[in-house]
Amino acid sequence: MTTAPYQSLLSNRPSSMGTFMLVSVGAHAAVVALMMVLSWLYETPRVDLDQKPITASLVRQGKKRDEQLLPRKEPEAPPPPAEAKVPIPTPNVKPEPKPKVTSDKPQPNAKKSLFDALNKTAKPEELEGEENGDPNGDSAKQEGEKYFGVISGAVRRNYDVSNTIPESERIRLTADVLIRLDAAGNLLEVKLTHSSGNDVFDGAVLGAIKKAAPFGPPPVHLKDTLKNKGVPLRFKP
Amino acid sequence: MIASTAILLLTLGQAPIIEISGANFRPLPIALPAPLTQDDGSKKLAAEFDDALKFDLAACGLFQLLDRKSYLADAKEGVTASSINFSNWSNVGADALVKAQLSIDGEMVRGDLRLFTVAAGKEELKASESSSKQDVRKLAHKLANALYKFYTRETGPFETKIAWARKTPAGKDVWLSDWDGRSGVGIGIGGINTLPTIGPDGSVAFTSFRSGKPDLFVSKNAAAPKVLVASGRMATGVAFSPDGRRVAYSLADGESAQIFVAAADGSSPRQLTNTPFFINTSPSWSPDGKRLAFVSNRGGTPQVYVMSSEGGEAKRLTFQGNYNQTPDWSPRGDLIAFTARDERNAFDLFTIAVDSGKVTRLTQDQGNNEEPSFSPNGRLILFTSTRNGGVPRLFVMTFDGNNQVELPAEKGSYSTPDWGP
Repeated sequence: MTTAPYQSLLSNRPSSMGTFMLVSVGAHAAVVALMMVLSWLYETPRVDLDQKPITASLVRQGKKRDEQLLPRKEPEAPPPPAEAKVPIPTPNVKPEPKPKVTSDKPQPNAKKSLFDALNKTAKPEELEGEENGDPNGDSAKQEGEKYFGVISGAVRRNYDVSNTIPESERIRLTADVLIRLDAAGNLLEVKLTHSSGNDVFDGAVLGAIKKAAPFGPPPVHLKDTLKNKGVPLRFKP
Repeated sequence: MIASTAILLLTLGQAPIIEISGANFRPLPIALPAPLTQDDGSKKLAAEFDDALKFDLAACGLFQLLDRKSYLADAKEGVTASSINFSNWSNVGADALVKAQLSIDGEMVRGDLRLFTVAAGKEELKASESSSKQDVRKLAHKLANALYKFYTRETGPFETKIAWARKTPAGKDVWLSDWDGRSGVGIGIGGINTLPTIGPDGSVAFTSFRSGKPDLFVSKNAAAPKVLVASGRMATGVAFSPDGRRVAYSLADGESAQIFVAAADGSSPRQLTNTPFFINTSPSWSPDGKRLAFVSNRGGTPQVYVMSSEGGEAKRLTFQGNYNQTPDWSPRGDLIAFTARDERNAFDLFTIAVDSGKVTRLTQDQGNNEEPSFSPNGRLILFTSTRNGGVPRLFVMTFDGNNQVELPAEKGSYSTPDWGP
């Protein structure tokens, strides 16, 4: 009795996989070696983490100033042209007589009443997001950061400090302030939690916050935190 | 990383710390109501005192004096924190409030100055000074200095002296005055006197043509001037070393002028430059006394050079412009201010950083501006300008060219000012 040869997936079969792997490793090694040689030949500037930020400006069109000449001050940017006042055409019609007021009571607004009625019957708007998302999901987080950016930007715009503070002292100044905001973004409290040791600087910091407020309504998920715990600000010159 | 930290803090119910930097450093908005007077005698002196104090604070570049017309507070409001309604001052934009009070005490007038921070409603400084009734401006300068020192911790410039030359029908006279150009004392009167310089002890040296050619003279304590250098050649442009022990000057012979350094009494002169057929002039000492900046045309055009005060090789400092002159070395050591004629043939003021050679323009399109001289603390520059009517007058500005203000000196044509201690 002859038996059919045992066919198994585990049995050794002739395969070109080994050769392929060898060729692949060799090719990769060759590519890596080539890249190393190329990078050595055409070395690019290394990233300098200590490099100061680079500022760029758009150079205006014109003749280049001779470097042998003394510098001139940049002329101040001209103010934007005032918008021409165009008289609003008024049709030659008789004005409508004013309605006679018969009562001091405020008249109900028909549109507002209709909107309120629709609003009562409409379902509450569902929050968009992922099913397995977090209540403080991605979009909410982005909104929170954005709001802190709003606070930061508004305060920075009003961050004017007296130049009576000596240059040698400026580098050491740091002041921490805690601010609490209500649901409309109004300042509830401004508290200097860490003085810089310089009253002028501390005063300027507090003044900047007061001038910058209100900041507009914060996002819903931040309201409690901003009202009860507040947000700390750290000021450096 | 920062964003993820902020996210983590938010999920924990904590807000991240918002860091804010990049402050705009600006003059401090300050309210200075008219001084309060307690008697008729002080009332007569109040206007003069007020003028001097207002000018000091407005011209020094540290403060922005708010317009009195905008004040909401009662002019008779008290001078103590409890009697001041600070919201009135806050509403006009004042960060600080300065109140002054004058009273007569025999032949003396007494001034009391109080400084308040408006936001805190707190008294920060109380200063009292007195002076003779004739020197009520000096009283204002003393109180202004107290205020300046409170903020900067540096000695203020308000009690320093300046020297200048002023045109007369017959020539030019040299005067010594307070920093605001007032209370002047004649030093070199009659004939042509010019290029004064003030030494660390208050002596004034200057160039005078009283013998028919330029010689150097010196006056101590405003006494009659004595000859400092009269060598038979033309001596000009004397400058005291910072320690007052030496003087540098220029001696001209024919078409050539060389820089010399001598002892403070003019003895033991030593020639520093040696460039025949070229002019070397206008020496100015570095604050450590080791170097001199001066003008030389050895390169074809007048340029600012620097060399050791012991002599040796001179190094050219200015390369932009073809007519640079009257260098003055800042007491802080980092900058040299000079006059330059630009391509529009206007004379303007510039500074050059001694280390980097970076040139910064200070004045532009406002007449001719010349002959800069740094204040002893290096924060201000005194100069002449023709911007108001074509006649050179005395002006002051901050070292970076801001807050250019005319001094309330008498009318006249001024030249070659120098600022001393």
